[in-house]
Amino acid sequence: MTDKPVLTLKDLSIEFPTPKGVVQAVKSLSLGIHKGRRVGFIGESGSGKTTTALAVMQMLAEPGRVSGGTIQLGDTDILSLGEEQMRRTRLSRVAYIPQGAMNSLNPIMRVEPQMWDAIIAHEGHTNRAELQRRSDEALESVGLPARAGKLYPHELSGGMKQRVCIAIGIILNPDLMIADEPTSALDVVTQRQVIQTLKNIQSRIGSGLMMIGHDMGLMAQTVDELAVLKDGELVEHGTVKQILEAPKHPYTKDLISSVPLVGGESFLNPDTRAAAPKRDSREPLLRFDGVRKDYGAVTALHPLSFTLQGDTPQIISIVGQSGSGKSTMGSIMLGFNPPSQGRVLYEGQDIAGMGATQSLEFRKNVQAVFQDPYACFNPFYRVDHALRFPFRRFGLAKSEAHTRQAMEEACAAVGLDPDMVLSRYPHQLSGGQRQRLIVARALMLSPKLLIADEPVSMVDASLRATILSNIYDLKDKYGISILYITHDLATAYHVSDFVMVLYKGQVVEAGPPKEVIGAPQHPYTRLLISSIPWPDLERSWGDGRDDWNPSHLEAEAQRAGSEFRGEVPGFDLVRA
Amino acid sequence: MTSQDNMPMTRAEKRQARRIRRFDNPWMNPKLTWGVAILLGIVAIGIIGRFVWNLDLVFTGSAPLKLPPLGAENLRGQPGVMEYPLGTDGAGRDMLALIIVGAPNTLFVGLLASLIGMSIGIFLGFSAGFIGGRVDDVIRVGADVMITIPPLLILVVFQSAFGDVTLTMMALLIAGFVWQSPTRLIRAQVLSMKQSGYVQMAQLSGASTTHIMFREMLPNLVPYLFGSFIASVTTSIVTAVGLEVLGLGPQRIPTLGRTIYEAINAGALIQNLWWWWGIPTLLLGVMFIGLLLINLGLDEVSNPRLRKLS
Repeated sequence: MTDKPVLTLKDLSIEFPTPKGVVQAVKSLSLGIHKGRRVGFIGESGSGKTTTALAVMQMLAEPGRVSGGTIQLGDTDILSLGEEQMRRTRLSRVAYIPQGAMNSLNPIMRVEPQMWDAIIAHEGHTNRAELQRRSDEALESVGLPARAGKLYPHELSGGMKQRVCIAIGIILNPDLMIADEPTSALDVVTQRQVIQTLKNIQSRIGSGLMMIGHDMGLMAQTVDELAVLKDGELVEHGTVKQILEAPKHPYTKDLISSVPLVGGESFLNPDTRAAAPKRDSREPLLRFDGVRKDYGAVTALHPLSFTLQGDTPQIISIVGQSGSGKSTMGSIMLGFNPPSQGRVLYEGQDIAGMGATQSLEFRKNVQAVFQDPYACFNPFYRVDHALRFPFRRFGLAKSEAHTRQAMEEACAAVGLDPDMVLSRYPHQLSGGQRQRLIVARALMLSPKLLIADEPVSMVDASLRATILSNIYDLKDKYGISILYITHDLATAYHVSDFVMVLYKGQVVEAGPPKEVIGAPQHPYTRLLISSIPWPDLERSWGDGRDDWNPSHLEAEAQRAGSEFRGEVPGFDLVRA
Repeated sequence: MTSQDNMPMTRAEKRQARRIRRFDNPWMNPKLTWGVAILLGIVAIGIIGRFVWNLDLVFTGSAPLKLPPLGAENLRGQPGVMEYPLGTDGAGRDMLALIIVGAPNTLFVGLLASLIGMSIGIFLGFSAGFIGGRVDDVIRVGADVMITIPPLLILVVFQSAFGDVTLTMMALLIAGFVWQSPTRLIRAQVLSMKQSGYVQMAQLSGASTTHIMFREMLPNLVPYLFGSFIASVTTSIVTAVGLEVLGLGPQRIPTLGRTIYEAINAGALIQNLWWWWGIPTLLLGVMFIGLLLINLGLDEVSNPRLRKLS
């Protein structure tokens, strides 16, 4: 019984015929998942993880097809099943928890009937009391109250919706669960809760789990075995311990080292320190004077005052979960979003009341890198438009040749080949290349202040460290001060000179990173740090122990006052 | 491998290669090509006809009455003659001359009306989306109210008050009813584009409002504008023909709609003068098919998901 795997993939190959020829999405993949085991599939986007999972469900998108190999579910050959047999197999034997589980629930149906549908579709007509009993049981098993079933999906939070999807997945006690990046849309605290739920329920019903993801830290804390995929090939497979301690393939090593650790070795090499660009004004570079932002009745940002002198280049990190007000703060600084109260002063001038010339001067000196590198380029133009236009607009260009030269230098500085990228259209470049181009753009304009709003959250894990060190270089080599807005405490720990932790629009802890993140005092900072999954097997992150209680910590965070942990010269945060 | 490369392509391979080329270059779209060809054909009839045909034949009584097209016979047993290849109508006008003058007129009214309508739509849509606030409220409500009013109703009243109108006047009147949907479409696009990363990037680059509107946003709107334009040309022509068939619209200038009106009025259906109403109707049908094909083609150009490797 135990030696027969729940799922056996043998020489599985999947191909997609496209106009440019046949693309091999998965190349002769062989793997077995045993009952009660959790197997993680890790790799970059496009490495064939999801495609493999969809093939198991016989749900490959057109025109993809299995071109070779077999998929065995227990003793059943999946590929030989007809449409109706496959329908019966789905959910009752293999459950698929999709990537955007939050959008997978029918918005106009209550949660319960969606679970009943699943039972009825497989077991035929069942009486109402029995359905009710089973859906309640499933909801309770994922840690939701039974009355949640009476709610509509929009009344549930993201984490709750994800749990409902897990509840639907396990309602028929499948042999195998496939979870496709089940927490990619959730913030770290919820992520830890959902993964704990998933692991508990999986060990209770004893099914196999195939978990797809790209975050090495999360994987290490969740699964027993890891399968590393690269370009459709299985490059390494073994237990988590084996892979973490002695990775064989260089790609696996890259993946492991791309996860920054708090207190771990830095991925940066701060060898040179450039001085900040000469400033004419003696006024501070940026000053927040009691800035507050309300959206209707919700206060996104409580009155906040700070002064950034800007004479020595610094990286100030602003960390917090989604909804903490950190991005609001970024857009207020850029003048995209007027504050409800207070003033933002750039070199002593209110950015709300600037004339045309002053405004241009402000734009020239305060630049930004945004979260989404896919949206930052106008699809109509070649990518060099995004670099050339501001360069000319700010009067930096002396001649066409000079612009060209500046663009090429900037590209080279961020590790891009200018001949390769500059004449391309945005869709021809990867997310990582585009984000680097945006960094190159900032470099070319050499502003005094750069606001980097989650610059790496949408970039593949293996490229994050490179892009962050590119941004770090801006401070180090070119003397640009940076406000780094992020949810990722580990990177903030490494790059910043000063950290502010934002919780519900309030600074709850601030100080040098070694103190704030290395030895957190405020309950909220502690909650955030305990939620980060690290590839460290000694740590109890997702083992479902009860000593980690987020709601308790959060209640404590509500009560606790702000912690201020020391200062850095040149940055002055007014204590509220 | 090399021997295979040198082999001439089989027919199937050639067809595959052609499909792929078509996939790569969206403008090589067969629907679009055919649609454009049909419309250009109608314009060509109008242009070439002016040189090779005697246009004086559009006047009443310039030809024998009720002659059938070539190869057909009318109720009196008269055969079609070479001088009037498409026959003549009940008032002695040559059908071919009517088409040469009338078809471009109909197309002209449609194009002019939707050109004006689109310009109004672009202006109002951009203003509403970009300025927002009170301006947006006024424009949005205005467009929403106007969309519910049946244009024919108002136009009938207008035209009967004006009496005889020129083609341009008619186009202007119709333009007053085709600006609403482009306005709404552009407003929606501008609103979503305003939030997009590249517009923010342009703002960061110190771009002026005009630069953002015309250099960053407008090029990305072009597919929508084209689609919307063709749709409003269709609407305008339908409206214009509708008015003409009711006997409104220009009284002295031949158009396809007016020809149908006269045919109905003179009892052409009962007298079996099928060419009198049939030829303009057929031509209008062809015109609409052309416009439809262009619209479908443009849809595929601007929306790659609709494109497939047929």
